[in-house]
Amino acid sequence: MKRKGISISTVLMIMLVGTVVAVLLSAMLLFYGSYQRMMVQNSVTNSIRTVNQVSITVNDYLRETDKIMGIIQEALEDGEENREEFFDVFLRIRPDVIAVSTYDEAGDLLHCYSTRGEVRAALKENLSFQKDRIGEYAEGYISAPHVVTLFEGAYPWAVTIITPIEGGERERWAALDISCTNISSYINDIGIGSRGYCFLMDMAGNIVYHPQQQLLYSSLKQENTERIAELTDGSLVENNTIYAVQGLQNDRWKVVGVSFVQESISESLLEMGRILVLSGILILLAAMLVAAALSRALSRPIRELASQMEAFERNAEEFTYTPDGRAREVLVLSESFSHMVLRLQDLMERVRDEQINLRKTELKALQAQINPHFLYNTLDSISWMCEQGRNKEAVRMVNALARLFRISISRGHELIPVRSELQHAESYLQIQSYRYRNQFTYSFEADERCLDYLCNKITLQPIIENAIYHGINGLVEDGRILVTVREDGEDIVMTVEDNGSGMDAAQIEAVMNKERSDHAGIGIKNVNDRLKIYFGPAYGITIDSVPDEGTRVVIRMPKVREERENAQE
Amino acid sequence: MRRNRKNTILAAVLLIALLLSGCRTASAGGQHRIWFVVKSTETEFWKSVFAGANAARAEYNVELVLVGPETEEDYEAQNRMIAQASEEGAEAIVFSAISYTENAAAIDAAARAGIKIVVIDSDVDSDLVDVRIGTDNIQAGRMTGAAVLDTDADTISVGIVNFALGSRNGQEREQGLREVLESDPRVQGIVTVNVAATQEAGKDGALQLLAAHPEIDTLVGLNEPLAVGTGLAVAENGLTGRVRVVGFDTNVQCVDMMREGVFSALIAQNPYAMGYLGVEYAFSLLEGKTAGSSEWVDTSTTIVTPENMFTPEGQKALFPFG
Repeated sequence: MKRKGISISTVLMIMLVGTVVAVLLSAMLLFYGSYQRMMVQNSVTNSIRTVNQVSITVNDYLRETDKIMGIIQEALEDGEENREEFFDVFLRIRPDVIAVSTYDEAGDLLHCYSTRGEVRAALKENLSFQKDRIGEYAEGYISAPHVVTLFEGAYPWAVTIITPIEGGERERWAALDISCTNISSYINDIGIGSRGYCFLMDMAGNIVYHPQQQLLYSSLKQENTERIAELTDGSLVENNTIYAVQGLQNDRWKVVGVSFVQESISESLLEMGRILVLSGILILLAAMLVAAALSRALSRPIRELASQMEAFERNAEEFTYTPDGRAREVLVLSESFSHMVLRLQDLMERVRDEQINLRKTELKALQAQINPHFLYNTLDSISWMCEQGRNKEAVRMVNALARLFRISISRGHELIPVRSELQHAESYLQIQSYRYRNQFTYSFEADERCLDYLCNKITLQPIIENAIYHGINGLVEDGRILVTVREDGEDIVMTVEDNGSGMDAAQIEAVMNKERSDHAGIGIKNVNDRLKIYFGPAYGITIDSVPDEGTRVVIRMPKVREERENAQE
Repeated sequence: MRRNRKNTILAAVLLIALLLSGCRTASAGGQHRIWFVVKSTETEFWKSVFAGANAARAEYNVELVLVGPETEEDYEAQNRMIAQASEEGAEAIVFSAISYTENAAAIDAAARAGIKIVVIDSDVDSDLVDVRIGTDNIQAGRMTGAAVLDTDADTISVGIVNFALGSRNGQEREQGLREVLESDPRVQGIVTVNVAATQEAGKDGALQLLAAHPEIDTLVGLNEPLAVGTGLAVAENGLTGRVRVVGFDTNVQCVDMMREGVFSALIAQNPYAMGYLGVEYAFSLLEGKTAGSSEWVDTSTTIVTPENMFTPEGQKALFPFG
């Protein structure tokens, strides 16, 4: 069954789902915004804290190195006697120190203490102490990372710390080459978030130590050192990268923490999104359940009500309905419908009854009517008989007329015994046979068993009248009319046969469907109508007729024992 | 109604499935097993490659097996290692071919077994290689040529000490080198000797060349041991200053000899990058993040001369950190 419009449950479902989705989305967006801000803030704080920790450690290391530098200075100022022994021990306890070397005023190498090998003979380039930079060394100096070029066959990377010597004889400078192994142990394992890291750079933008230094050297990775060099202490969020910077005590280096907004935050957001989606699904499921319950409580009874209404539309008379519904609104609707059905059926019945009564009243009025032509023709005949002194015949005629009218009236009953109906027919035939001067004969064949059943009054008379007027009248030979009554199962069948001129189909049609044109008395149509009104469509009159041979009218009615009219009212 | 409920359940199931699949991709794990089959485990070049590979191993959390034959000529040992990798469940092989032709079948077999193949440094004659990473050897050969020509001399006579003919790298380097040399009118002659890739063989080869062609004033050693061997041949025979040496690849010995004036130029490749990128590409191939490509991934090459060797860039190119 195709219908227009949207069902209530669909509307409910759409509204619920729509609302839930809208709420979830806006909640997600709101959450996302504040969560992201919060997470960035957290990451920044975390970065700064980590960088501070690292800077504290590196500061300690630098302080320690300063102290060592002081000790070395003292040792150097002491003169040259015990130096070998001192440096032997010193280099063993500090394996991260690659070499300690001393230089004269001009910057030429005087001594070099190291465990890494002999100083090469022709020292053309010395990256640990560059003569052309001697001016920068006065206040203490820390170099950018470089390889130590003092030895043959070994080029370790180091940072050189240079300090002037006050009381030496020829020696003016001491240079300490330190590898980054100690610093690396402080920095390598520092993680910020899952991919963040720390590195150490100097103010000029040279990277002093980076956990992935070789990747940088191999150009596999870049660090935006120029940008970072501009940063003061604090943090910067740029392109999803968080930089946290903290200067160190020596004012030459700074610790830089690099972490990534994306990873830490987007992962948490993903997690959060997952939770939201999950709860969204739960809410959606709940909404669907609610929608289903609502549709069960509301829309299904309403739909059922609608189909009941359709059924009522199709067959109003035999429709029965019991109100049903869980929701009050539906229940009220359903009860109203139930009331309406009962009331409509009541009204329909009343209308039908009223119609039947109207017809009956009409019929009664018709029955009560006396065909004036018939009456004065009959009275004419009687007076004529009296004039001729045929008193006996006149008496019989008057008796027949009296019986005819008595039965016609029958104290207002519609149904009379078959016996009376036959008397009525006989009286009528008697009168008519006088009037038609014995142009026809008539006979009755009645089954005795039928006589006590009831039948509509004035059933036979209009048919006999039709037989006389249309069949017998004008017939040259003798006419015959046979009236029979017999039973046929549960029915009673009466027939009226004549041997008159018969009727063609058009005439039969006219007789069965037209009221009498003279508006007097009862026609065959009326008889048929009455039978059908009283007993139903299965009963009534059928006419068989062969022109020039005769007509046979069959009247079928049920066996009725008591007055039905009374029972109905 | 019935249909509605069915749809509801279907939608819920779909959503949950989606969610679960999301979780699964997020938590996909397990270490990838990558084999690293190279030409040698001895030279500084390959140690640097391994350092790079190990850096990437730590970064990408993969299981790495590093192997190589004892000599740089033993391609059969390499083929055995490839087969072994296949047996032991390697998901990717990072490979450097000793022989362009002789290693091809083994690599084809491994690739057909579903192993991702990443070639570094030296190519192999296989269509099934997913990624190739390394020096553009012809271009590097041209750079070597330019270094040879970077002199005031009126005439130049070049002796080339190259390694096995079967190696594609050596041939390409020489091709690029000769291309540049032959275009310069000062170049009087170019002779090549092919020797095994060891210092001794390199030294012997250089001495042979010098004996047979006394006019030679410039020697070129086309890989690390040959560069050292050539340098030693010159240094130990008092030819420093008379015969210039240009070396392909570097190590500490080369640097020392450069400081002593033996080498006039060194062509520094980027072995650390090869190792690192080899593992990185293998990883992203296994993760499905990159598709295979026939393009070479070029790693940078630097010319180091006595003038720039101790500049920051020279230091970074010459000396591994740490």
